[in-house]
Amino acid sequence: MQIQTNIENLENYKIYLTVQKAVEEFLEKKGYLKIDLPVLSPALIPESYLEVFETEFRYFDKKEKLYLTPSPELFLKRLLAYGVGDCYYLGKSFRNSDPPAKLHSFEFNMLEIYKMGVDYLQLADEVLEMMEYVNKKIQSASWRTKVKSQNYNSKLKINFSQWEKISVSKAFERYAGISEKELFDHQLFIKKAKEKGYRVDNFSYEDIWSQIYVQEIEPKLGINGYPTLIYDYPKEFAALAKLNPDGKTAQRFEFYINGVELGDCYTELTDWQEQEQRFFNEDKIRRKNGKIIHPIDKGFIEALKYGLKPCGGIAIGFDRLALIFAGVSRIDELKLINIV
Amino acid sequence: MRVNAGNLKKGDFVFHQGEIWQVQKADFYSPGKGSALMKTRIKNVISGKNVEYVYKSAEQVEVLDVLSIEMQYLYKDNENLYFMDERTYEQYSLPVNVVGEVANFFKEGEKMYVYIYNDKPLTVRPPLSVKLKVIETEDAVKGDTVSGAKKPAKVETGAVVMVPLFVKVGDVISINPETSEYTGRV
Repeated sequence: MQIQTNIENLENYKIYLTVQKAVEEFLEKKGYLKIDLPVLSPALIPESYLEVFETEFRYFDKKEKLYLTPSPELFLKRLLAYGVGDCYYLGKSFRNSDPPAKLHSFEFNMLEIYKMGVDYLQLADEVLEMMEYVNKKIQSASWRTKVKSQNYNSKLKINFSQWEKISVSKAFERYAGISEKELFDHQLFIKKAKEKGYRVDNFSYEDIWSQIYVQEIEPKLGINGYPTLIYDYPKEFAALAKLNPDGKTAQRFEFYINGVELGDCYTELTDWQEQEQRFFNEDKIRRKNGKIIHPIDKGFIEALKYGLKPCGGIAIGFDRLALIFAGVSRIDELKLINIV
Repeated sequence: MRVNAGNLKKGDFVFHQGEIWQVQKADFYSPGKGSALMKTRIKNVISGKNVEYVYKSAEQVEVLDVLSIEMQYLYKDNENLYFMDERTYEQYSLPVNVVGEVANFFKEGEKMYVYIYNDKPLTVRPPLSVKLKVIETEDAVKGDTVSGAKKPAKVETGAVVMVPLFVKVGDVISINPETSEYTGRV
């Protein structure tokens, strides 16, 4: 890898800063507390599909493993349990094995917002309002006349007055011709995927599901002039989200603009026993897949035991959000220094 | 040579469903739901057909060891482009639809690289830039100072590209043949 200086991105970087300022202004007005957090931690939440960065703290003979946090969730949930109230983090997160790509980087900016007493769809309304606020700030920003990018006006034709909402099962039916029955029955699903020409040998339901989702669903999301909110994922993708009463789906949504995933939102799981069980399962998958083994954050479970009141939380890829407003297509176009 | 799909890059040749394809685009993508993926666009070297294909980034893909040999571009007819290896005087032909639109910027007699696998030509490695003479374009209207404004210009191979207003007939310009974009005046 090398250090690349991209001074030509100065104008885009200024848009990035404007988005950041507008987001922080909005959240402050709404009463969210900004939380500064460590990025190095001795234990993490096990997430089966993420790889982590491992490092070591040394002091004479003492050596201790530390890990760069792939998300601020483990810290924020603790604070929520102990009563911090509505809050957010805007800062770095790290994901190993994500090479620098159009929409990925192993080091990126994450905006994570939590609100007490709401579910995922209620939090969605607040996120929409935030984007509309940002859009207004961008439209009225003084530097706009100086922006050379001719793309700006033509690309951002998104109306933030409402969501285009679609459930995951409806989306599979509409865009991939897969019925609700097929979607939730692993055997039927794999059979259908095979008929559609997907490779299924040695692939898990989750993997095949993801392939179809990426290939047939995602490109259709957020392309009709409104941001698209796609909700109620199969329970296999529940992660830290509460399940719906149907037992098949989780209260999770993601939102998209121009086919780009920008955020992932849950009604947070507050049941510590279920969370602990999910942790063990995730950890098992990590071990099976040869991922770096890290201690599981037990304090997180302790915090849930203490009692996490109902809340909703959303993680937004902040660089991706900013690129939508800057009218560029790659996150490295927002940065003055890139490691490539 | 077997590699992880996560290491595929533009220009690689892969075996896919028993045929040879060239990677046109490869983007790493981690949906956060299931394994990381490599979203690719691959082009069949026989039919010229483009297909979007998603690999798991950890899966093994066969990448072909392909030679690239400098040849002289001779001419084209309705179906094929013809090239000659100047060391052996051997001639090779490639279907127009396999080489694609970059061929609109090839000038007869120019040297370029042709990919060869098992003695058969696969496709052309497009030059990063080509220099061509403008043979037709309107004169700029005086006072038109909108920065970044463009006009069409026809170059000696017959292709049309968008150029800045100051470009005149007779100018030699450089073009990126893959994007058909004007990159400068020579």
